[in-house]
Amino acid sequence: MDLFSNLSLAFSVIFQWNNLLFCFIGCVIGTLIGVLPGIGPVATISLLLPSTFRMSPVTAIIMLAGIYYGAMYGGSTTSILVNIPGESASVVTCLDGYQMARQGRAGPALGIAAFGSFIAGTVATILIMLVAPPLAMIALKFGPPEYFSLMFLGLTLLIYLASGSMIKALMTACVGIFLGTIGTDTISGIERFTYRNYTLMDGIGLIPVIMGLFGISEVLLNIDEASKQEIYKTRISNLLPTLRDWKDSILSILRGTFLGFFLGILPGGGATIASFGAYAVEKRFSKHPEKFGSGAIEGVAGPESANNAASQASFIPLLTLGIPANVVMAILLGALMIYNIKPGPLLIKQHPDLFWGVVGSMYIGNVMLLILNVPLIGVWVKILKIPYPILFPLILLFCLIGVYSVNNSVVEITIMIIFGIVGYLMKKFKYEAAPLILAFVLSPLLENALRQSLLMSHGSFSIFFTRPISLILMVVAILLLILPLIPGFEKRPKGEEID
Amino acid sequence: MRRYDQMSSLVWLAFAIYICIESGRLSFGSFHNPGPGFLPLLVGIFLGIFSIIAFLQAFLSKETEEIVQSWYPKKRWKKLIWVLVAMFAYAFCLEILGFLVSTFLLLVFLLRAGMEPQRWLVAIGGSAIASISSYAVFELWLKTQLPKGFLGF
Repeated sequence: MDLFSNLSLAFSVIFQWNNLLFCFIGCVIGTLIGVLPGIGPVATISLLLPSTFRMSPVTAIIMLAGIYYGAMYGGSTTSILVNIPGESASVVTCLDGYQMARQGRAGPALGIAAFGSFIAGTVATILIMLVAPPLAMIALKFGPPEYFSLMFLGLTLLIYLASGSMIKALMTACVGIFLGTIGTDTISGIERFTYRNYTLMDGIGLIPVIMGLFGISEVLLNIDEASKQEIYKTRISNLLPTLRDWKDSILSILRGTFLGFFLGILPGGGATIASFGAYAVEKRFSKHPEKFGSGAIEGVAGPESANNAASQASFIPLLTLGIPANVVMAILLGALMIYNIKPGPLLIKQHPDLFWGVVGSMYIGNVMLLILNVPLIGVWVKILKIPYPILFPLILLFCLIGVYSVNNSVVEITIMIIFGIVGYLMKKFKYEAAPLILAFVLSPLLENALRQSLLMSHGSFSIFFTRPISLILMVVAILLLILPLIPGFEKRPKGEEID
Repeated sequence: MRRYDQMSSLVWLAFAIYICIESGRLSFGSFHNPGPGFLPLLVGIFLGIFSIIAFLQAFLSKETEEIVQSWYPKKRWKKLIWVLVAMFAYAFCLEILGFLVSTFLLLVFLLRAGMEPQRWLVAIGGSAIASISSYAVFELWLKTQLPKGFLGF
């Protein structure tokens, strides 16, 4: 199939009215939760997952994808106006975005964030179209050792990029892998760590763990710290950036797009890392780096483009390799399995409507989001004014309903609350939750690949180093692990939180 | 942070020992044919090693200059416990009282005893609207099966 027939398939899928409708709903919800601090795409997608079980898989994934990249648009609004990031990928936008708002330039800041996101989103969609199918062809040659090495690299990368101490990230990753082994062993059928508990036999559910670690713990932390929000009182006017603004930021947008796309494809990368990376790059490329932090438009344009490109690019490893690049993709992986679709190199061939439908929805979704975020910005600002003491019971309620509705199980509610407490303590003690979740999701895949590889090689670990693709992946992973030990390389990029 | 790091790494070490002991009861298999206990034991050993390194790092490091904030501000501590108790109680009552009643009670409680006490009118009115509308969306529209309880709704 050539590009044009693929494109026409993409648009024929997205222009079915229900797909169009749910793409729109996804974008609206995404913007909404992007705007609201304390509830991010991770919690929302897991919350809405059960309600998608009655939709067709294509429609469901289109909506869930819309929520994810929609949140990237919405997240910038809070960063710029309130100096509180709506979600973690917009943390750096606070630095210059809020300063711009204080100088009465909230309009151009919001405008360039939306246009930058739009350009990045559209370019990323085109790149996905070009990159994904050939990548799937290569992935067909992957055996268990290659899969193991790739997942190992993904985990290592996330650990390497973790904001806090690397040893802590290694520990949480270990805990994640352990949690993933709880339940019935798929190869031998033996129960592990279940203590004859009926719910645990199927393993610990992904959704209670995620909602606990990301949803509940965030609320607990906010109750604890009671962040005072004050919206910067300014009239938002001149949303359209001036010619000067465009001149200042167009290159930043393009750099952010490509950097974000690249970091998005890598397993373990993602929108948050991309936005931090883009900010660092912009500061380095700038002729006046001293202006950063006091309202430089490049400091908004670069990261906002990068997080959008990355969020879309992260679909590539999921849809071509069956490996989730970040937590959101991990939930979508779970979703695809529930819909009885096996993510992996054969997905594009077996379910072309799904892959091309999602690609098509990204084109349309970005247009919808531009409309939602530029002319309708006032609506979102109003929502920001809901005080947190009233908002938090509702967020908790959504988490409770969401978890209950997956399996109609009260035990899972309890599991969620427990992981909420664990997540709260982890944040207080400065441990990151992202490596734990990714390790938890990858654990069963990792274990199967490891055991099958060892079966193939009759117990020799050298199998990971004798096959060329696996060798390259392993060498990169090991380099990442020893690099911080070498003097001069200790300092790693700083990220607030990764998802 | 230093003392906290020491504490937390010891907790992880204890957890690692637990993993190792428990996976010892599963079959390890062999490198030729790894059994169900293979990966858990491996992970337990690594977790143990990492937590010892983390402990030593914290032990040998100088106290950082950053002002260490108490991780349990006492004033808020109480509220946090109340919110957690309310959620556990909700999980316990959900299938006895049914979705509507338990949700209403939970929301009233959270609005009154949560971050800032709201006026009774706001708390009761808001909770009623929120629980009925979430019932309408999830039960009636999305057909999620919410628990009925002994009252039948």
